[in-house]
Amino acid sequence: MRKIYAIGAFTLLFAACKPSVSIITAPTAGQVKFTNYLAIGDNYTGGYMDGSLTVTGQLNSFPQRLFEQFSQVAEPNGAKGPFIHPLLHSDFGYPGPKLVLGYRHSTCIWYDSSLAPISYPYFTADPIDDQYFVSNKNNGQINNIGVYGLRVVDYPVAGWATAADGQGIPYARRFFYDAAATPQDELQHRVDNLYPTFFTMWMGMNDVLSYAIKGGQGDGTGNALPIVPGLGIYNPNDISPISAFDSAYDKALNTAIFNGASGALINIPDITLLPFFNAIPSDGLILDRQGQADTLLAYYAGQAWKKVFQPGKNQFIIKDHNDNIRQSVPGELILLSCPIDSIKCSGWGSTTPIPSKYVLTTDEIQFARAAIDRYNYFIYTEAQLHHLAYVDMNKYFSTLPTGAPFNGISYSNAFVSGGFFSLDGIHPTARGQALIANKIIETINSFYKSTLNPVDANKYPGVQYP
Amino acid sequence: MKKNLLASLILLSSVNLFGAGFQLNLQGIRQMAQGGTGTAWPWDASTIFYNPAGLARLKSIQAYASIAFVMPSTAYGSSMSSARTHQQTFTPFNVYIGGPVQQDSRFAIGLGVYNNAGEGMKWDDDWQGAYMVQSINFNAIMFQPTLSYRISDFISAGAGFVYGTGTFDMTQAMPVHGLNGPQIVYGDNGQAHLKGTASGVGFNAGLHIKPSDNFQIGLTYRSQVTMDVTGGSAYFTVPNSLKDQFPNTHFNTFLPLPQVASIGIGVRPSEPLTINFDLSYIGWNSYDSLKINFDQQTDALHNMHAPRHYKNTWVPRIGANYKVSKVVSVMLGANYDATPVPDNYVSPDLPDADRVNITCGASIKPFHRFTVLAAFEGTSSLKRSGKYEYGNFEGTYKTEALSFGLGVYYNL
Repeated sequence: MRKIYAIGAFTLLFAACKPSVSIITAPTAGQVKFTNYLAIGDNYTGGYMDGSLTVTGQLNSFPQRLFEQFSQVAEPNGAKGPFIHPLLHSDFGYPGPKLVLGYRHSTCIWYDSSLAPISYPYFTADPIDDQYFVSNKNNGQINNIGVYGLRVVDYPVAGWATAADGQGIPYARRFFYDAAATPQDELQHRVDNLYPTFFTMWMGMNDVLSYAIKGGQGDGTGNALPIVPGLGIYNPNDISPISAFDSAYDKALNTAIFNGASGALINIPDITLLPFFNAIPSDGLILDRQGQADTLLAYYAGQAWKKVFQPGKNQFIIKDHNDNIRQSVPGELILLSCPIDSIKCSGWGSTTPIPSKYVLTTDEIQFARAAIDRYNYFIYTEAQLHHLAYVDMNKYFSTLPTGAPFNGISYSNAFVSGGFFSLDGIHPTARGQALIANKIIETINSFYKSTLNPVDANKYPGVQYP
Repeated sequence: MKKNLLASLILLSSVNLFGAGFQLNLQGIRQMAQGGTGTAWPWDASTIFYNPAGLARLKSIQAYASIAFVMPSTAYGSSMSSARTHQQTFTPFNVYIGGPVQQDSRFAIGLGVYNNAGEGMKWDDDWQGAYMVQSINFNAIMFQPTLSYRISDFISAGAGFVYGTGTFDMTQAMPVHGLNGPQIVYGDNGQAHLKGTASGVGFNAGLHIKPSDNFQIGLTYRSQVTMDVTGGSAYFTVPNSLKDQFPNTHFNTFLPLPQVASIGIGVRPSEPLTINFDLSYIGWNSYDSLKINFDQQTDALHNMHAPRHYKNTWVPRIGANYKVSKVVSVMLGANYDATPVPDNYVSPDLPDADRVNITCGASIKPFHRFTVLAAFEGTSSLKRSGKYEYGNFEGTYKTEALSFGLGVYYNL
C-alpha cells in the first residue's frame, strides 16, 4: 500500500507540472440554423485552383471549410451533412492539366531556366471526370454549386452550361440537372431539393474578371451588349451591364432566401490586386547601359508621347486598346498571360509594344474598379434589405498587398510566394480558401451572434516546390 | 537587353522571430529557498552574485557549488487547437570561491561562475505556432571576478566584472513545402535552424550596510549584459529549387540581459529567525526588438526585425531562514515576478506571464566547515491570453515549473 501511495504522490508531482489550456469551446449557432448549407457562387466557391479543377481543390474550397465548422455546432442547428460537391475522380486537373511549379526554359537563352508554373507534366485525361456527376444522396443532393466562369448576368441564359461547354468550360455541364436550363433554374432546382437553411452567395467576380483577364477588350463602361441578340449572352470580353447584373443578382438571391434561409453575401474583391495583374511589373524593362536607352530614345524619336529611358528600370512600351503605341505609366498592369519569352527574347515591351490584350491601362483599371464598387453597392443594399450578413471580402483582400499575417505567416498577393493565391495568380490556394472561410466566419459570428471557431489555415496545403 | 522579370517572384514571407533570454533566479540555494532574496544578507560565497559587497563580510574563504534541476512546462490553447511543450530538464549550475584574503582582512576577492539567464522550449514540429517557433534554447553562463572591501563595520562595498558566454539554438517552420516530393503531405514544412554562441560583458556592484548584527541593508546594481551572437550558423531545410534562395549562411544578433537594481533589508528579530525583503527593478525595456542580420541575403532571405517592446518590472521577494539547531536550518519564501511582456507581444517563443514562485529548503551542517543545501521552487504563472500582433498569433498560455536545487559549501 505504501508503495502505491508513493507512486501516487510522484504522479501528482508531475501532474502539477503539466498545465493544460483547452479553450476550444463548443460553437453555438446564434440566430442561424446551419442544418442545410448551400454554397452558391463561381470559381472560388467551386474550388478552382492552379488553373484547373481537381478533387484537392474542391475539398479545400471555402464552402468545405465552412461546412466543417458549421457541423461542429451541436444539433439541431449544426450542419448535418453530407456536404456534397460535384467531385471529380482525378487530381490531375480537369479538363486540362493543373499548374505545378517546375522549370521553364527560355527559348532564346539556353542556360536560362527559371522556377515557374508549368502544366502538370504527367497529365492524362481521366474519362470518368468527363462523365455526368451523379449524386446518390437524397435525390441528387449537391451542396456546392459554385461553377467556374459563371457571371451574374449569365443566370438568365438558357443553355448556358452547354454554351460554356462549347467554350471548353465543361464544369456546369458535368452536374447541372439540365444543361439546357438557365443557371437560375439550376439554383431553383437545388433550393427545392435541399431546402437550405443557410447559404453563402459569392457572385460577380467574373462579371469584371472576364473583361480584365483579356486586357480590357470591351469598352469597359458597363454597357456591354449581348453578343448574340435575343439569347442574352453579354459580351464576355466586357464588363457586365449594371442593370442586368442587379436584376439577375436580385432574382437569384430571392430564390436562395425563398424558404427563409439565413445567409452571407460576399462582396467582390478588387481583382486588380490579384497576382495575375501584378506578377510582371510594368517597369520591368531593364536597361543595362545608357547606350540602350539612347537606342530606344532614337527608335521612338518620332513619337509625340512622353518617354523616359535610362539605365535601370523603365516602363514597358505597350499598345493600348485604341491601338496607340506608347510607354506605360506607373500603375498600369501587365498580365501574367503575357508570354515571358516574348519579353525576354523578342523585344516585347521595348522595340515591340506589348499587345493590348496583355495590358490593363489606367482607364481600364478605373472601369474595372468602378464596376466592382457599383456591384458591391448593390450587394450591400441587398444584404441590408434582406437582413443578411454582408462579408466585406473586398476590404480583407485590400490588406494583402502589405501582408496579412496569420499564425506567424504573412500572407500576401505576391505571385507564388505570397501563399494566398495559387499558381494561376487568380484563385486562392487551400490556405487562401481557409483564410477566406475565416473571414466569412468572423462576419457570420458578428452578424448572427454565433460562436463558430476559425480554422487553422496553415494546416492546409500550400504551394509545393520541386 | 536583359529583362530579369521572374527573379523576384519567389519570395518568402514568414514572420520570423525568436526569443529573449529570461532571467533565472537560482544562483544560490539558500537564497532560492527564500524566494530569491539575498541582497541584504551575505549568507555564503554566492553573495558574489547577490551582493558583491557581502563577500568582505564572510569569515573565511569559501568554496561553493550548486546545481538546480528545472522542469518547466507550458500549455497553449486557442480556438483552433491546444498544445504543450515537451518535457525537458535544465540544469543551471553555480560555482563560487572567495572570501577575505586573510583572517580579519578588510579585503576580499572571489570568482563566481553562474547561470543567470536561460530558457528552453520544445513544441511539436507541426503545432499551431510552428511558423513562429518549434524549439528554442538559450543558456548564458557568467564569469564574475570580484573584489570586496569592508570600509568599516558599518559599510562594505564590492564590485565584479561580468563576462558572459552562452549558446543559442532555435528552429522554426518555414512555409515552403515539397521536401517529400510533389505529394501533398501534412506538416511537410521547410525549417530554419539558427545556432550560435553569444558573449557579452557587464558588471555587478553593491553596497552592504550593517547598522547592527540584526539589521542589514543591501543595495546592488547589475548592469545590462548584451549577449552578442556573432557568426552564428543559419541552416535552411528547403526544397531543392529554393536552395539558392536560402543558402546556409551566418547571422548576427544580440539579446540584452536586463540591468537590475535591487534593495534588500534583512532583520533578525530573534536569534534563530532571519527575515529578508528584496525589491528589484528590472530594466527589460532594453529589449525593444529582435534583429537578426544574415551575412548573405537573397531575394527571399532578408534581415529580420521583430518588435518586442518589453516593459520594466518590479519584483518583490520575501524569505525567511529558521535555524532549528546548530546543524539544521529551514527556509521558506515567495516572490511575485511580474511579466515584462505587453499584451500585444505575447509570443510562443517566450509566452511570459506574471509568475508566483513559492520556495522552501533546508540546510544541514554535518561536519565542521561543511554545509549541504537543498531547495525547492514551485512556479505557477497566471493563465495569460495574449496576441503577438506582428504575427497575428493569438492564444492562452499557462506555464508551470518545478525546480530542485542542491548545493554544498566548504569554509577553508
